[in-house]
Amino acid sequence: MVVLRAGLCPGLTEEMIQLLRANGIRTVVDFVSSDLEDVAQKCSLSYKALVAVRRVLLAQFSAFPANGADLYEELKSSTAILPTGNPSLDQLLDSGLYTGEVTELMGAPGSGKTQVCLGIAASVSLSLKQHVLFLDSTGGFIASRLYQMLQAQTEDEEEQLEALQRIQVARVFDVYEVLSALQELRDRLSQQVMSSTGPLKIVVIDSVSAVIYPLLGGRQSEGLAIMMQLSRELKTLAREFSLAVVVTNQVTRDSSTGPLKPALGRSWSFVPSTRVLLESKEASWDKGTTRRVAALAKSPRQPTGLQVELDIGNGDMPEPSPVTPTQGL
Amino acid sequence: MQREVGSLPLAPALRARLAAAGFQTAQELLETGPCGLSKEIGISKEEALEALQVVRQECHGDAARTAGGSGATRKFTALELLEEEQAQGFIITFCSALDNILGGGVQLTKITEVCGAPGVGKTQLCMQLAVDVQIPECFGGVAGEAVFIDTEGSFMVDRVVDIAAACVQHCQLIAEAQQEEDHLKALETFSLESILSHIYYFRCRDYIELLAQVYLLPEFLSEHSRVRLVVIDGIAFPFRHDFEDLSLRTRLLNGLAQQLIIVANDHKAAVVLTNQMTTRIGQSQSTLVPALGESWGHAATVRLIFHWDNSQRLATLYKSPSQKEATIPYHITPHGFRDVQPPAVTQNSEGTEMNPRKRPRREEEKQQQFQS
Repeated sequence: MVVLRAGLCPGLTEEMIQLLRANGIRTVVDFVSSDLEDVAQKCSLSYKALVAVRRVLLAQFSAFPANGADLYEELKSSTAILPTGNPSLDQLLDSGLYTGEVTELMGAPGSGKTQVCLGIAASVSLSLKQHVLFLDSTGGFIASRLYQMLQAQTEDEEEQLEALQRIQVARVFDVYEVLSALQELRDRLSQQVMSSTGPLKIVVIDSVSAVIYPLLGGRQSEGLAIMMQLSRELKTLAREFSLAVVVTNQVTRDSSTGPLKPALGRSWSFVPSTRVLLESKEASWDKGTTRRVAALAKSPRQPTGLQVELDIGNGDMPEPSPVTPTQGL
Repeated sequence: MQREVGSLPLAPALRARLAAAGFQTAQELLETGPCGLSKEIGISKEEALEALQVVRQECHGDAARTAGGSGATRKFTALELLEEEQAQGFIITFCSALDNILGGGVQLTKITEVCGAPGVGKTQLCMQLAVDVQIPECFGGVAGEAVFIDTEGSFMVDRVVDIAAACVQHCQLIAEAQQEEDHLKALETFSLESILSHIYYFRCRDYIELLAQVYLLPEFLSEHSRVRLVVIDGIAFPFRHDFEDLSLRTRLLNGLAQQLIIVANDHKAAVVLTNQMTTRIGQSQSTLVPALGESWGHAATVRLIFHWDNSQRLATLYKSPSQKEATIPYHITPHGFRDVQPPAVTQNSEGTEMNPRKRPRREEEKQQQFQS
């Protein structure tokens, strides 16, 4: 809904705009959807001029259709698959995190979401030598734990320090700060300031529900609007700059005995293309060991219901465990 | 400058009007100017001016950040954060087993939640921490002050006096054993009166007072910049009774959590909350789980659950970003929160366990005791 302004296109002058506005035509949409003969009569403007302006506006503001084959070629050349550093998780995600898509990790408190995010950051920074942007909204980013993970993967101190420097952490505790940080990222990437960021391929947001929850619920709908704004920003960032976006989400229950379901509701469920649910079995806290299980809840490529055992590593390399598919592959 | 209008922190009614008028980016808003803006969307000139100021602030903040400065966003590399963490102290609890499973003690800049059944020792731990945060740096503490927000009325000053006296005595023993200059100097200021005068106590009777107090904390903390601990004893109590609208409760609690994280981060303080337990009735059994629901579990960075095992009190680390899950026993003595003494040992009648970071001087302490 762009407002008509002088200079928007060659034939559009200030007097034209004033005349149009006097007759109730303020935006581009109003202009192109109105009957031009009628407008020419009411505003006493030349019909030819109006048609010319409309042609230019339509060309400027409409989307171009793309060829399916071209789209496929473009996807093949721009999409990369980033391994997460955890072989069983990679198996679940069909060999890793796809750039251009939003992947969501959800789980109850203490199920290991932040650990998996740290593992992904460590692996991408160390093995792939790519830069990582980590947006921390819960205060759960502990650099010493990340360092521990890096130490488990390589002995070389130089490499560890370099890997640490490639991970940039922003502490954003408010949804507007998240949006600012994403806007800043967009500006940096579009200006291609390589010196400070280097090749950025992955953005991790831990967690997105912590910043949106304070705005949802009650009787106000602004929370939903902000959530949709954020989701649009994430998806366009992922698509335009070929980034892999990883977000973490909470789980809630309908009633105190209902099943667990992802937080943020139905509207958010359309945003990520892949959803992984992290659970710790034997979840009562008075037992000693816990088994962590990752289940695929939504995926464009794999059958849902796949489950793997996840080892978030206590300093050792995670072992690949057998996958138990519930549907045939 | 291509910031969308929807992503700016403006009032929702104003945002709706701007969208209806066709404004899409911040750039367009700034170009129109306050008079044009007030005419287009029908608000007063003052409101238009205010809105434009907000927009300008946001955009300048963005521009400054893109230009390379870190500006207002808290942005660091992981290496810088690692160095910061390694230089940061912990608040010890005087129970070395608990300090061990926490990775050194209660961490600054993080929220720690302590859940437990009534009578298991949550308030005792809070009072112990309010004293321990004031231990001078030469004895291994962080030399800070404490804010105690009480919603249940369970803060007993006489008990704090006992705990503080035991702490001062402990430090005196160390100072006498080691005989170092700075120890003796620190002891001059570390006395019972100074400990009690540096605990700032607030009593909140319902959830509105609690919310107001937390939102006023940043101002208070900027005046009292030495505060390193904020304790909220009983965050569940005001929210558990008489709340009809549960979605409002979730919204308020999450807003509270985010505000506490901002306070903890900006003022380098540790935030400790205590929570109650509730029963979840499953198909075949019922379990005790922390109160306030699933979404509250995500608010705290570190979660400790205190429970009973026959007559022994146990503490379990249930959620932590850097430590493994573990369970340890602890003890509450007249001197405060302490370790459980192993059965084989000790003529040491106090029952205090030394902090592992301090050099062990047990033989000399014992000698001191026999002599005195």
